[in-house]
Amino acid sequence: MNTLLVLAGIGVFGLFSEIFRFKKALLPVVFLGLAAALVTTVCDWNTNVSYFNNMMKVDNFSLAFSAVMICITMLWFIISPGFFTDETSKSDHFTLILFALTGGVLMSSFNNMVMLFLGIEILSISMYILAGSNKKSLASNEAAFKYFLMGSFATGFLLFGIALIYGATGSFDIDVIATRLSEGNLNSSVMLFAGILLTMIAMAFKVSAAPFHFWAPDVYQGAPTVITAFMSTVVKTAAVAAFFRLFIHTFTSMTEVWHTALMIISAATILVGNITAVYQTNVKRMLAYSSIAHAGYMLMAIVSMNSAAPSALLFYVIAYSVSSIASFTILLMVSNSTGNDSIESFYGLGKKNPFLAIMTLISMLSLAGIPPTAGFFAKYYIFIAAMENHMMPLVLIAVLGSLIGVYYYFRVIIAMFRDGNEKEIDFSGRYKLVMIIAGILALALGVAPGIVTGLL
Amino acid sequence: MIQLAWLIPVFPLVGFLITSLGGKKLPKSISGTLASTMVLASFIVSLITFIQFNGQPVTIDLFDWISSGSLSIPFSFMIDQLSLIMLLIITGVGFLIHVYSIGYMHGDEGFSRFFSYLNLFIFFMLLLVMGSNYIVMFTGWEGVGLCSYLLIGFWFKNPEYNKAANKAFIMNRIGDLGFLLGIILIYITFGTTSFNIIFPSAGAFPNNQPVIIAITMLLFIGAMGKSAQIPLYTWLPDAMAGPTPVSALIHAATMVTAGIYMVIRSNVLYSLAPATLSVITVIGAATAIFSAAIAITQTDIKKVLAYSTVSQLGYMFVALGVGAYSTALFHVTTHAFFKALLFLAAGSVIHAMSGEQDIRKMGALKKKLPITYFVFLIGTLAIIGCPPLAGFFSKDEILAKVYVQNKAIFGVLVITTLMTSIYMLRLFFLTFFGSFRGTHDQEHHLHESPKSMTIPLVILAVLSAIGGFMGLPEVFSEHHSFNSFLEPLLTFPSSFIHEEMSHSLEWSLMIASTIVLVIIFFITRKAYTSSKGVPALHENDLSYLAKASYNKFYIDELYNFIIVRPLHIISEVFYKIVDSRMIDGLVNSVNKTVVASSRTLRMVQTGNVGFYIFAMVFGIIAILLFNLVL
Repeated sequence: MNTLLVLAGIGVFGLFSEIFRFKKALLPVVFLGLAAALVTTVCDWNTNVSYFNNMMKVDNFSLAFSAVMICITMLWFIISPGFFTDETSKSDHFTLILFALTGGVLMSSFNNMVMLFLGIEILSISMYILAGSNKKSLASNEAAFKYFLMGSFATGFLLFGIALIYGATGSFDIDVIATRLSEGNLNSSVMLFAGILLTMIAMAFKVSAAPFHFWAPDVYQGAPTVITAFMSTVVKTAAVAAFFRLFIHTFTSMTEVWHTALMIISAATILVGNITAVYQTNVKRMLAYSSIAHAGYMLMAIVSMNSAAPSALLFYVIAYSVSSIASFTILLMVSNSTGNDSIESFYGLGKKNPFLAIMTLISMLSLAGIPPTAGFFAKYYIFIAAMENHMMPLVLIAVLGSLIGVYYYFRVIIAMFRDGNEKEIDFSGRYKLVMIIAGILALALGVAPGIVTGLL
Repeated sequence: MIQLAWLIPVFPLVGFLITSLGGKKLPKSISGTLASTMVLASFIVSLITFIQFNGQPVTIDLFDWISSGSLSIPFSFMIDQLSLIMLLIITGVGFLIHVYSIGYMHGDEGFSRFFSYLNLFIFFMLLLVMGSNYIVMFTGWEGVGLCSYLLIGFWFKNPEYNKAANKAFIMNRIGDLGFLLGIILIYITFGTTSFNIIFPSAGAFPNNQPVIIAITMLLFIGAMGKSAQIPLYTWLPDAMAGPTPVSALIHAATMVTAGIYMVIRSNVLYSLAPATLSVITVIGAATAIFSAAIAITQTDIKKVLAYSTVSQLGYMFVALGVGAYSTALFHVTTHAFFKALLFLAAGSVIHAMSGEQDIRKMGALKKKLPITYFVFLIGTLAIIGCPPLAGFFSKDEILAKVYVQNKAIFGVLVITTLMTSIYMLRLFFLTFFGSFRGTHDQEHHLHESPKSMTIPLVILAVLSAIGGFMGLPEVFSEHHSFNSFLEPLLTFPSSFIHEEMSHSLEWSLMIASTIVLVIIFFITRKAYTSSKGVPALHENDLSYLAKASYNKFYIDELYNFIIVRPLHIISEVFYKIVDSRMIDGLVNSVNKTVVASSRTLRMVQTGNVGFYIFAMVFGIIAILLFNLVL
């Protein structure tokens, strides 16, 4: 709760800074604010309090995911100052990011359908604008427009689904809905089924699961790289947390309605993401498909529906976000100096800058899920959770997907150690800092996964 | 303070990170000193922990390492009598060898790399002995194997050295597989890998239960590999390809004793499996006498010491086999002192001889290398068991314990002891007495080693001289301090004879062995100080038996013939038929399918929003139909 206030507070402060012209103080204030938000999050650990007439509930699940989002946002702010100086009206962008984060926190701690909707919209509207923040670029404008169009289409489904569920159960409160559902004997079952399926479809859109993923590659590629980094980490974390919270908490007694469909969606997402990524020569677009594939793995945690699932999902989200932010950092550096995102711009990196190459190696291995990196245990825990629920076919497809994944992640690694491209890489300290933090985290979690798994 | 013992392995890890990441940027003076300081810091913390230790084992939980389902492996350390003694040996001897290496490796282009490996080795070795469950122990076990590999092949430009490194690694892998299977079987049997749960609950098993025999045998296979026992010993002599400090630290004082440590750590299980203990006794005794027989004719100064190490390890296993666990550890300790000393002194000789290792080309080095001569003498006297040096007490104790349990094995060990005296004194006299047989250049360059090398030598010589007094036998004193310190941890196999050797018998044993020693001393002195005693340069001039021994009884050739060659043939067949034709074809066609489907699937991503929405709606209708209609 305090976390939410602090985040919204610094967001509003950002707006004022535009008017009163103290932009220079903005970045330090944002950092302090995020640190404060992190502290309040950690302080609330094990408290389990609900706010606003049970509209919001702060439990360990929501706190853990909020903390992950805040930490990743901090890392993101370290790599992104360039984005704010290059563009006009930068403080708006600060504010939008902070509001998006606020929406994300809300999405991980809602206890009411209305709050879920508000969270999603706060997050999405900020992201629509940010995707188009590079006003001079046609691709960026196109990305924003596509994102907005398809996003509002999905929002319509969400609203429709919520309304149908309200119609069937008479409540927005997810605790009440859960009790009604488990009691059974609801007279309007078709309305309820349709409602659940429509919310599922809308959530699947938000996490970019197949076949609702079409927006993702275009938007990820068109948006400025830093915004893509934010979308594929913080936004994805928020969406997956909300999806998990809604379906595991509320709709567990209605598994026959959504379980098979979601399982198929999960498998399709893993396959489509991984297979399509194989053919990409643009690293940014490749990472977009990779993020679709990872969404598929995260959905596996939802369909596992057992006690191992929350911590498996948390671990996955952390491992994925950390390696993702590192990959986008390197992409940012490389594309800044070579001018494009193609795989060729990675040639010769291993010789020019071994340190950078090793960090890239770690994050690629982690995304591919190879020990001793965090990505290995992330996949391992997800697979274990799914196997405990006897979903062998899904696990087999997921393993197959990971194998395909090795193909395109290793292409980046191989490219780094090829000759060519003598141009020096601009390599400032803040990128180095983020890469070191992310690299250490990816290795530490891969060597000692127990640090995180015990939390939830 | 004991809770801070986790710092002990952290220091060398930090040292490793700095020296390896710093690489060539670090000046030599810094990397050597830094690495040594880190080990010294570990030694100091170990010493403080040892002083504050009150007899109660302490477990230090650091974090949950792996938890998945019912499997939970904490990353935690165990401080008890056994790990403390090992800690002191590893960090203490390790520090001396680090300091020695500063002088020895001076001028080598891989100076920083050498120290980073050395620090990494110390880190893993500490993990091995401090781990409070078999998994942490196994991590250290594998880690030291890796470092051993890296250091044997340290001069990687020489292909022979690389082969030696590979051989060591592969031989160890065979043992490691046994160890790993043992750990898995332990987990299946006990549901955990933590020592403090397994050992108390093992009491419920009767003697010679098949599963316990299986576990102990599998663990022993691991120990065979690491501690170079028959049939997995052939890597250790080849491992002498590494720099001499490495031979001293890894292949004499610490890593090779890891197998002994592991058996002592698991003594509760071994005491329940007398059958396994008999196997250990026989293998240990066979290894001891066999490698002593090889050592007698070797002409490379380091090879003699290497076979001697194998033989001494055999002794320790015999001690384990008769249930004398603390005696085995006592011998580990004294052996660490005198064998490290002998190797380092040999290193000093090699250093002086400009890299020459063949004792046929040495001789008369006594005057030129007075300090080295003196410490080598101490080391030799200690290993052959001359009273009152360290080896006398530990070796005598092993003999006494074996005598009670098994007279035949006792006989084998006595013969081995005689052979030990012969080959060590032969080495000693050939190196330091007689006439100089090297080239003129070598004679011209002869010089005593720098202080950074001689000071560690002198310290180790002192330890080799007085180290035995920590385990004075009960004949001399009321109290065997070493054994009683370890006692709380140990068990004794219930089926074995509970009886100590009578004091009069022990006295006569000691006196007899000393007299024999003196006789051998004079015989070998006569034989090997004259020019006739120098072994022939060509093996054709050797007698039939000596030739067999000189060629290590053709064991390497035997292994080559029965294992390596068939493997080569099989792998050739698999490569040509299974791999090239079947697997490659399969892999390539999978690859083509994936790429082709990727190309097709990519076409769906048209960029047209209308199409995207159409696809979404199609998906939505499919889901709704699937659920609502079916």
